[in-house]
Amino acid sequence: MMESGFHGCDLDDSLKCKLEESGTQNTHSVMEKAAAWFRSRSIFVVAYGTGCGAIEMPPTFTSRYDAERMGVVGVATPRQADLIILSGYLAYKTLRRVIRTYEQMQKPKYIITLGSCPINGGMYWDSYNTIKKLDDYLPVDVSVVGCMPRPEAVIDGFSLLQKRIKNGEKAGWEKYDENLDFYKKNQKRVLGNHVDPSYETDWYNLENGSEV
Amino acid sequence: MIELISKLEKLSLELVQKQDYLYKVEVKKEQLESLLLSFLNEFGYITLDSINCRDDLEEGNFVITYCLLTPKRDHVVMVQTSIERENASLPSIHTFWPQAEIMEREMHEMFGVDFPGHPTLIDFALEYWDNIPPLRRDFDTLQYVNDMNPFRGQRDDALDAKVEMKKKREAKKAAKLKAEQEAAAKAELETQNNPSQEVQNEE
Ligand code: SF4
Repeated sequence: MMESGFHGCDLDDSLKCKLEESGTQNTHSVMEKAAAWFRSRSIFVVAYGTGCGAIEMPPTFTSRYDAERMGVVGVATPRQADLIILSGYLAYKTLRRVIRTYEQMQKPKYIITLGSCPINGGMYWDSYNTIKKLDDYLPVDVSVVGCMPRPEAVIDGFSLLQKRIKNGEKAGWEKYDENLDFYKKNQKRVLGNHVDPSYETDWYNLENGSEV
Repeated sequence: MIELISKLEKLSLELVQKQDYLYKVEVKKEQLESLLLSFLNEFGYITLDSINCRDDLEEGNFVITYCLLTPKRDHVVMVQTSIERENASLPSIHTFWPQAEIMEREMHEMFGVDFPGHPTLIDFALEYWDNIPPLRRDFDTLQYVNDMNPFRGQRDDALDAKVEMKKKREAKKAAKLKAEQEAAAKAELETQNNPSQEVQNEE
């Protein structure tokens, strides 16, 4: 996107070299690197309080721990957000809403989960109504462990994500696009055909990748 | 309270005291609705605290308990009835206590009890549930969970906790033994070095 307009700009060769060295996988041009740096410094968060961990969000974002000094700001709607925080266990019912929310977000988009529940079910491992492994259904970028994680840990998760964005590492949304079959198959397994908006023409009518 | 007891006696029902604030009356399903209505209108039990359901799988029954309170809040009356598990159904009492609507809706979802005449008998906490209602005892939760949500596999470099703990315990034991031996050797050495002391002591 941005690179095309800026190819002509003559950066000092040595600087260009340095920038290229510091970046990794898929930021190619200098401008992409610059964009990635800026992006890592302005993460807009929609905080989706799915479980108990939501209680750690107010101290994280308010004056006590003040995540805004790192450029992490809360926003009102998923369409304005870069990052969704899923703070705890997810019931099937919640998962439905979360998938919809995630798909509404503009790319690039990231997911941070808090707590052990989205990793392996936590203490809800034998519940008839919660999922165990969130990364089967949505691409999780950073999982902050703890039951529940303290705001320091949450901020650590933010800085890890920022580092990854800055380095241009492959993010979850790219994996989601590439492995859509896998994710949709898993979603279909637990949610059946009931995901809003109803998918009439695409993945939901496919059984193991082939049409039913 | 005396009024209540005499009225119940007329209906050949018994008010049993379970604890100093807790009373129980058992009633047949046919009498339930009229009894609850008279509790509300005649005796002023204006609060329906909760409706509970117990699954007596062995007897093939559901035991339903309505907890009622007066504005004084000094005691609770439990009105208990038992119904068949098969095609379980109960009269809806949402017209007496409006909060019963949501309690009945939950019970319908969790136990599959039907409430004819209930206005909103739709999904409550679950969505699109098509299995046995989850709080019935013949629903095998563990089986269901293992089928739907298998555990995450171990990491490749994961160690076996049992083996590691055993190793740890053995190492601890060996260290303890070694320390004891060392202490004994030291003590022996000391006695060898100062035999005179011992002799003096003996004298
Ligand atoms: S990890 Fe702990 S705090 Fe977080 S949702 Fe699970 S039980 Fe609650």
